Amino acid sequence: MQYKDYYKVMGLSREASQDEIKRAYRKLARKYHPDVSKEKDAEAKFKELGEAYEVLKDPEKRAAYNQLGADWKAGQDFRPPPNWNEGFEFKGGGFTSDNAEAYSDFFEQLFGSAAFSSVGRGQHGVHARGQDSHAKIHIDLEDSFHGATRNISLSAPEINAQGQVQVKHRNLNIKIPKGIKAGQHIRLAGQGSSGTGSGQSGDLFLEIAFNNHPLYRVLETDVYLDLPVTPWEAALGAKIKVPTPEGSVDLKIPSNSRQGSKLRLTGRGIPAPAPGDFYVVLQIALPQANTEQAKAVYQKMHEELDFNPRQALGAYYQ
Amino acid sequence: MNSHDLLLVHIGTVIEEDSLSLGQLCRACSIHADWIISLIEEGIIEPQGEDIRLWRFSGASLVRARSALRLQHDLEINLAGIALALDLMEEIESLRAQIKTLGHA
Repeated sequence: MQYKDYYKVMGLSREASQDEIKRAYRKLARKYHPDVSKEKDAEAKFKELGEAYEVLKDPEKRAAYNQLGADWKAGQDFRPPPNWNEGFEFKGGGFTSDNAEAYSDFFEQLFGSAAFSSVGRGQHGVHARGQDSHAKIHIDLEDSFHGATRNISLSAPEINAQGQVQVKHRNLNIKIPKGIKAGQHIRLAGQGSSGTGSGQSGDLFLEIAFNNHPLYRVLETDVYLDLPVTPWEAALGAKIKVPTPEGSVDLKIPSNSRQGSKLRLTGRGIPAPAPGDFYVVLQIALPQANTEQAKAVYQKMHEELDFNPRQALGAYYQ
Repeated sequence: MNSHDLLLVHIGTVIEEDSLSLGQLCRACSIHADWIISLIEEGIIEPQGEDIRLWRFSGASLVRARSALRLQHDLEINLAGIALALDLMEEIESLRAQIKTLGHA
């Protein structure tokens, strides 16, 4: 088990006042809140921060934590000294957070068992429907085009008969319906938390997100492809084979196409009830002038074409 | 995992626009209907349908309601602040998506 430096997590000195701790938490919580932040490890950071605050905001827990001494380094192998918390009284109310699984082994070792015992579910004769649960799953764009069956692994905290929280893993095979788009949910009835007594199980909601695709970008139901073309294909027009998630198609590039032009293949986007479109965005690639021949061609263009791309800048810059 | 697990395929229902009832939305967020109604009064989510019994919510409402719940719980923001934060976050998200399709990301 590794020692956690809660002061370091919050960027505070060990002498920080309770007010300073609160202010630091508010500031960092806004920064790393998974709903707000787009930083990759925001969720892990936010959990770590929540754990640090859980300890430091409570003068009892903070005093107990301080008792461990200042000599520990974050990440160091840690074993709590015997009777380290002797004389400290934790007055319940330990968890303000309801997802107890968010806390580290380190936290649980120090404060866990006492706090959890109050969560015990000894109710008799209560028949309540289980909670609905939620998970986000990442699928490939192709799965939405063709429909697919995917195996997903889920983990959820569960409270066992001893009132301890355990993380339970399970695998589910689920059908990905054709035409689903990012942000949509699939509801699996009865796959949420189990109910108490004879209460029904809750439902499981899966929010769909797409993996990044090496070729395509997706906006709602529309799919975009960057297509590199030569200057002469753009200028003279051409017929080019382009990939789409449903296989390759022959695309006619009109003559005098410009850089960034969008060509639309109607209805070739995500096959949702209202199907999206497929857009090909032309990216004109210039051949390098790295041979005598290539230089000669550019030189010839310079001499024979009356072309000024800077007309809009005014006479001075021409 | 045994072969039985491999064969069992769960088929769910896709939540299309306007397909959750008030009760289903409450259960999906594990929250009381009063709180959902206060979200509607603040304009954070909007149901389709005149009568409360006919109210229908979209999958997007579910995402917003759950974000609102987390923001209130974790950052102690009030409903007006949540409404503002969610609108701004959605705007940022759509701008990010546009940047991505322009190929500059």
